Amino acid sequence: MIIEGGGTKKGFGGLVEHADICLSLKDYKGIVEHNPGDMTITLKAGTSYLEVQNYLAGFNQMISLDPFANEHTSIGGVIAANDSGPKRLGYGSARDAVIGMRLVYPDGSLIRAGGKVVKNVAGYDMNKLFIGSMGTLAVISEITLKLRPVANYQSLVLISFPAGNLDVIKQFVVTVLDSLMEPITLELLSPTLAAKLTGRREYTAAIQFEDVESSVHYQTTYLENLKPEGGTFTILQQEDANLFWQAFYDLYPGLNAENKTKSAALKVGLKNMEVLELLEVTERLESGQIHLLAHGGLGHGISQVYLYGESDRILSAIQEIRKLTSAKGGYAIVKHLPFSERLKINIWDESPSYFFLLKQIKAKVDPNNILNEKRYVGGI
Amino acid sequence: MKGKQIQSKDKHIHQLAAIVANTRSILYKKEDLLAYDCDGFTIHKHLPKAVVFPKNTKEVAELVRYCCQNELPFLARGAGTGLSGGAIPLNGEVIISLVKMKNLISVDLENRRAVVEPGFVNLKLTNSISDKGYYYAPDPSSQSCCTIGGNVAENAGGAHCLKYGVTTNHILGLEVVVPTGEIIEIGDNGIPDAPGYDLLGLITGSEGTLGIVTKITVRILKNPEAKQTVLAYFDDVTDGSQAVSAIISAGIIPAALEMMDKTAIEGVEAAAFPVGHPKNIAAVLLIEVDGISAGIEEQINQILSVCRQFNVRDVKVAQDEQERSRWWANRKTGFGAMGAISPDYLVQDGVIPRSKLPEVLERINQISEHSGLRIANIFHAGDGNLHPLILFDAKIPGETEKALEAGSACLQACAEVGGTITGEHGVGIEKREEMRFVFNEEEIAAQTTIRSVFNPVNLLNAGKLFPSPGKCVEIKMEKKAAIL
Repeated sequence: MIIEGGGTKKGFGGLVEHADICLSLKDYKGIVEHNPGDMTITLKAGTSYLEVQNYLAGFNQMISLDPFANEHTSIGGVIAANDSGPKRLGYGSARDAVIGMRLVYPDGSLIRAGGKVVKNVAGYDMNKLFIGSMGTLAVISEITLKLRPVANYQSLVLISFPAGNLDVIKQFVVTVLDSLMEPITLELLSPTLAAKLTGRREYTAAIQFEDVESSVHYQTTYLENLKPEGGTFTILQQEDANLFWQAFYDLYPGLNAENKTKSAALKVGLKNMEVLELLEVTERLESGQIHLLAHGGLGHGISQVYLYGESDRILSAIQEIRKLTSAKGGYAIVKHLPFSERLKINIWDESPSYFFLLKQIKAKVDPNNILNEKRYVGGI
Repeated sequence: MKGKQIQSKDKHIHQLAAIVANTRSILYKKEDLLAYDCDGFTIHKHLPKAVVFPKNTKEVAELVRYCCQNELPFLARGAGTGLSGGAIPLNGEVIISLVKMKNLISVDLENRRAVVEPGFVNLKLTNSISDKGYYYAPDPSSQSCCTIGGNVAENAGGAHCLKYGVTTNHILGLEVVVPTGEIIEIGDNGIPDAPGYDLLGLITGSEGTLGIVTKITVRILKNPEAKQTVLAYFDDVTDGSQAVSAIISAGIIPAALEMMDKTAIEGVEAAAFPVGHPKNIAAVLLIEVDGISAGIEEQINQILSVCRQFNVRDVKVAQDEQERSRWWANRKTGFGAMGAISPDYLVQDGVIPRSKLPEVLERINQISEHSGLRIANIFHAGDGNLHPLILFDAKIPGETEKALEAGSACLQACAEVGGTITGEHGVGIEKREEMRFVFNEEEIAAQTTIRSVFNPVNLLNAGKLFPSPGKCVEIKMEKKAAIL
């Protein structure tokens, strides 16, 4: 059985093209329960992520996740794939937002994990098992999330750094991180990505603030005074910041039909400051044959790399990037790659040393291997 | 082997002592073991077989392997401050105490993380990095003595968890000795989202039933630039609880948002840190905001206007750090303060959706009337974590049982409005049966199935966390016997 939501993650893992049943949750959508006063929401898995965010905006609330989503992306898919964007620096990721789930186990039984309250230590924290498990343990049928208020005000600061010296960037970032400022994002864009979004082919830091207005202005002023010599400084306020982020998320190749064939996307995990080294590698790999866009969170260490070119070029670039991640003890997961190419590469990178436990969990929960065969780490 | 000879005929004691290579690193005589027959949950007691104090991961692994090979039940223990009985050696376990593994291994400010051994005391971490302007966020009220290893086991909370999250939100990596003796490293280098099921999240809060944590990588945070504290008095609990929701809906997530009801106020005002709360009010809110200094005033003004909107009788902002500290001392000693108005008290730990507060308080009132016992309510209102304090006198025959029953009824009331039975104290022994209020047999089996992956023979901390199928009656009788 293959489980599918909005279908925007078809390029993410999966070494089996055919199944007896494709269980589509596309029409299993809607809000089961929204308690504005409790700031929690329970959604059917197929609910469109963007639709529910729009709905919540009417209550001045939001799901505090910023996945790479379009109108088809379902909340179930976001959680099953543990997708997150730059704002996880300020708001955390799926494991911080999900408080409950309703699951259909491979034997058909209905199992609830967690609950509807934001603080809960009754039993094992079973939610964690299913977040990011790519539907290999159970079908996520409903998800309960804690919500956050939408901040009164937001500004995005874009600081571009003159070519060359990564030390200047590092020094700047270390100062910001060590300051009392509270950025929601501290995302470094590769020159190629910055060129697409801002028109300047330079390393660019995208630093978002969301708070009461006076606090946001105070923080952007602080950054302005910190701006490195020769760098440019731009503030995008309110809706302009939203427009920037929209363009930013839209570049994700899995969402862009025309790119679907000759593109790939990686999720890379490194220590915060090693993001700089990753972006340096992607910049070096850029050539007439392969085009790379990259960005990484200097406050959380998760980066995304998008690759465009002929498949052999893409695969060899991934190997190059993995040389860095493996030397640093990080990882590079292939989030998006056409099916034919997936067989040529280890999508999930090296399996962890405790893989024997993961395998046993799968074997105990799904002994007949019914759900999403070979979609996950180490062929699970 | 150093120190004096082992005086025991039990070969296991000799073998265990050999593993920790020091006769002073093992306790096995009855008089030494008495201190380990319970933890912060004192209603149930049982002697361990021995207490061993390993110095490193290798020794922990060897101890675990030895216990496995010889079918000796075992469990891990930190400072023993747990409130639900998770470290009580129900089956005469070998206790592996981690208090000698108490090093701060490294601090990496650039990457905002620290690596500690499990016996490292929670507050010591903040103290070690505060000069650089950093802190470790989870702050359970026992933080001056509880260990981070224990915090991981219980997924401990604290006053700041409304804004900053509980322990699980701050754990980046764990080294774990699994019950079969293998050492595994999860989240190498503290990098989040490593490929594979999230064992970090699963093991955190597993109450010492899935493995023994021997090294912990935690996230550290920068101190907020400023903080400000407000007290608000309400004549009506419903107004107070609606103000709580409205504050958060207004776009503010306070660092802490606490509530006390009339009985609780009576207690804290009679105890060591009175602050002059009016006697005839229904509820007091203690609200703290922190963050960027430039934004604090705007947030405080919003909070004040929300409180007025909900008919606040009086509201005041702390004028200085001294006043703020007095307010916090008044609140933080709230449990102990019940001693001023009652010989004994029992604390419960339910969680409810915030909006159900008036309804649940009414239920708790009825439970109080029905049992004839007074119940005070101290409430982490922001995240719905309710601590009913059931006041009783253990010297009066039958009153302890009544208190236990009332506590359980409070948890049932929480569960029935869509809440849960524990928000931060854990299930342990205390709330095993109450697990049935929130999970059915199949759901409990789904969890014990996961336990069997890690803990196949169930030698590690058996009998905790889950109700034993078909044995509920027996456990209730055991509970009763322990009280008598």
